[in-house]
Amino acid sequence: MNKEISVTINGEAYQHSVPIRLLLVDFIRDIAGLTGTHVGCTFEGVCGACTVHLDGEAVKSCLMLAVQADGRSITTIEGLAIDGKLHPLQKAFNDHHALQCGFCSAGILMNMAEFVRKNRKSTEEEIRSALIGNLCRCTGYAHIVDAIKEVAGMPGKSA
Amino acid sequence: MYPAVIDTYDAPTSVQEALQALANRGSNSHFLAGGQSLMQAIKARVISPKSLIDLQHVVELKGIQYKQGGVRIGAMTPYRDIAADEGLDGAYQALRDAASHVGDRQVRNRGTIGGSLCWNYIAACMPPTCIGIGTSLDLVSKKGKRTLLAEKFLHGPLETARHDDEIVVAVTLPAPSQFSGSAYKKWGLVTDALPVVGVCAFIGLDNDGRCQLARLAVGGLATGPRRANAGEKALIGVSATDASAISEATETAAAATETQSDMWADAAYRKKLIEILAHEVVTTAFARAARGKHS
Repeated sequence: MNKEISVTINGEAYQHSVPIRLLLVDFIRDIAGLTGTHVGCTFEGVCGACTVHLDGEAVKSCLMLAVQADGRSITTIEGLAIDGKLHPLQKAFNDHHALQCGFCSAGILMNMAEFVRKNRKSTEEEIRSALIGNLCRCTGYAHIVDAIKEVAGMPGKSA
Repeated sequence: MYPAVIDTYDAPTSVQEALQALANRGSNSHFLAGGQSLMQAIKARVISPKSLIDLQHVVELKGIQYKQGGVRIGAMTPYRDIAADEGLDGAYQALRDAASHVGDRQVRNRGTIGGSLCWNYIAACMPPTCIGIGTSLDLVSKKGKRTLLAEKFLHGPLETARHDDEIVVAVTLPAPSQFSGSAYKKWGLVTDALPVVGVCAFIGLDNDGRCQLARLAVGGLATGPRRANAGEKALIGVSATDASAISEATETAAAATETQSDMWADAAYRKKLIEILAHEVVTTAFARAARGKHS
């Protein structure tokens, strides 16, 4: 029913006995107390608000159990800025007003932080395609795409 | 949504350990692959497993290997790796077409080819693709091994030939003849949505550029993924420039496929989708086959 796990989140080790059925996103929010990772759709895993990095890969933390993260390293939105210095995407989101209510922002930033690490020069089509797993209900995506273009767009074409 | 109580969780690191864990845990134990479908079902309590056996750390189930011209893809290989593997281009490029548009980036990081085949969801890309390109599945249990063609393995939606005590360890593809090509395309309600219909074509050409081997497979059907045999027969002897013959073949494929009506598409519209998608993938597969072997 319960299992002892040790998970590193943003460089900090967490050791806990957790119910096997506990979702990773609930471990992050309720046990680690890191509420920047959001829960949107809660079921289908379609909204992307709960996206975190699992050993550097963008994954939806509502589609994993906490016990599956045993021994692994997770980065959440709270760990994206390093020593108080914003990630280039975070700065670009500010500059381009790429958020309104902010509910989806953490998930989008975590997904796209992995994307821009792997894709330095992307077309707008590639950026939009990379955003399929994240729903935003305020912005219409235009400013989000502009912000990502600034960090990972084609040279000379950035907004 | 929250899972029902789960009694045990095992994270084996080898196939043998996984089989042993299953034997120890007994009934209502489930293997967990990438979890992008199964976790939804567990959260919705469609499935309430007593025990979960997580295959994510079984390294021998991951990776794409090329041997004597054939391909072996570990069952736990994620879509992301299949989508990125240029070695599949030509004969087995349909796998890349399909894998690169499954779900979204996050899903492709976790979701696996073996998981998708074992789940055999009606709106899934891997089942028709694997039938279309002539994939076999290697299954292992404590009793031994067996190999099944994808079209024998995949039954109706959510049904397969897998026994409860078996693990699908890999999918394999034979060495293709020199001029072979494949393609897959789906149609869904929004970009990269679950497919309402998905069609895969595999074309093998003779030295004169005529089709000597054709396979067409359709997904999104209430009967489960199926080959469109009538359309395949109509493609034999056809060349890429023979536009009217290709159109006739894909019309035949659509006409002969049993389709259902549901909230996403009625039966007649599904047939139209099959015809149009089949035309596109057959045309693309011809072009890829004509380029010859890459490796």
